[in-house]
Amino acid sequence: MFESALQAWVGFFKPLGLNYGFVLDAGELSAFGRGLWVTLQLCAWTIPVSLLFGVLIAAGLTSGRAWLARPLQAFVEVTRNTPTLVQLYCAFLVLNMLITQKLGGGSPIAPFAWVVIVVALHKGVFHAEALRAGIEAVPEVTMEAARSLAFSRRQILTQVQLPLAVRFALPALVNNLVDLVKMTAIASAIAVGDVTYESIMIWSYRDNVLELLLLILMYFGLLTWLVGLVGKWLEERLRMPGYGQ
Amino acid sequence: MANDLVLPTRRSGATRLWLPAVLRDPWLALLLALAALNLAWAATGTAPAAVQALWHWWPALLRGLAMNIQISVLAMALGTLAGLVVGAVSLSPSPLLRRLTRAYVLLFRNAPILVLVYFTTYVFPFELALGGWRLPFPDWLKVVIGLGLPASANVAEIFRGAIQSIPSAQWEAAQSLAFRRAQIFRMIVLPQCLRRMLPSWMNLYASITMSTSLASLVGVHDLVDAATVASNTVSRTDFTILVYFTLLALFFAYCYPIARWTRYLERRHEHY
Repeated sequence: MFESALQAWVGFFKPLGLNYGFVLDAGELSAFGRGLWVTLQLCAWTIPVSLLFGVLIAAGLTSGRAWLARPLQAFVEVTRNTPTLVQLYCAFLVLNMLITQKLGGGSPIAPFAWVVIVVALHKGVFHAEALRAGIEAVPEVTMEAARSLAFSRRQILTQVQLPLAVRFALPALVNNLVDLVKMTAIASAIAVGDVTYESIMIWSYRDNVLELLLLILMYFGLLTWLVGLVGKWLEERLRMPGYGQ
Repeated sequence: MANDLVLPTRRSGATRLWLPAVLRDPWLALLLALAALNLAWAATGTAPAAVQALWHWWPALLRGLAMNIQISVLAMALGTLAGLVVGAVSLSPSPLLRRLTRAYVLLFRNAPILVLVYFTTYVFPFELALGGWRLPFPDWLKVVIGLGLPASANVAEIFRGAIQSIPSAQWEAAQSLAFRRAQIFRMIVLPQCLRRMLPSWMNLYASITMSTSLASLVGVHDLVDAATVASNTVSRTDFTILVYFTLLALFFAYCYPIARWTRYLERRHEHY
């Protein structure tokens, strides 16, 4: 059943000049499927981690403590104005090398984890900027009301500012997450077996670059569309009449 | 209202001392401190071995950076030209044309830039047959196209947004003053649009410049490639650390002023 479906797939695209013959090879098909799965895992890990970093950085930036806010501001500026690939190299080739030397053989952090950390930090900075704008948009009256109800700083942040800031920042956050999904493609630069990497392996044997690239583009299109869909659903669900438009 | 009158004079007092204000910028202070440290090392001849190796590789790194800048400028020029055409077509009255440009913008904005760079590098031939001549089609030029495509989609969106942000009442007012359609566009709408587009356009340029680092993955000899070669050739732990952080610093030194200038333009724009 599955076999014949694949045969039909290859036969359908042959007249168009697209050779999808690799799906009939069990090894290459499973490698490509593994790549799709790894990319999905990368997204599933990086999205929540980046949101966590975003909240932490935004909390630090708006804390009003100079010793915390100043270095974070510098970190934000460096992260925003340097390429992610170079950041990944600085983390994977430099920090990973230092950790390996320190421990004497074998770093506990796998390349997959480095990609998650670097991409999550990079996008976390952009989340933080969006959240900060949201936090600063919380009306002063609301803050005064919360203070007069004897909320502590942390309570005000987690129970008043963040819930309002998230609603305000949601469109920007979803935009960042769409960018994040696309950014996971750089995992292939340090040989994490994501869909781009596995495709490079396949097309260096078979010279079917165009066919594979169309599949990759469709896959990323599907993922970004899903993220956008979830974002729209959340926007609908969290919408408070009269706030955040 | 008395405060409004007092405040500007106070501010002009502060601008008279602009030089220390510039020096107080932490990034500039860091740059000056590094320069002073290197001068001291050069004067006394006590620079650490890794720093000496870095100076040995410095010309190669700068040549790499020049390649990145060349790619980014050409990609942005290509992207701007194509993007203005696509943006203009996306405002046309024909629904078919509008839908086509919509698809173009969606496709190239939602594709990972790395995948587009692979796409143009591997799908295009390595030389072009033009008439009787065979023109070489080097990899860096393919990267220019690979970055120009997403740039054009973004420029199209920026342009469309800017045109639509001009109140339609201006068109009507100009029409009632007997301006022709082309005149309204050229003399009234376009000058305002250019001013509104500039900050987003510069943001896009900075982001395209950062994406040129991906060229190293398809074998273009750019800054990242130069740093990798240097680190593998020298093969010392301290030099590897130094060269990769120099890489980060060089990109930062090029992109951060653009970002600051963009922010300044945006702030000035808020007064309109």
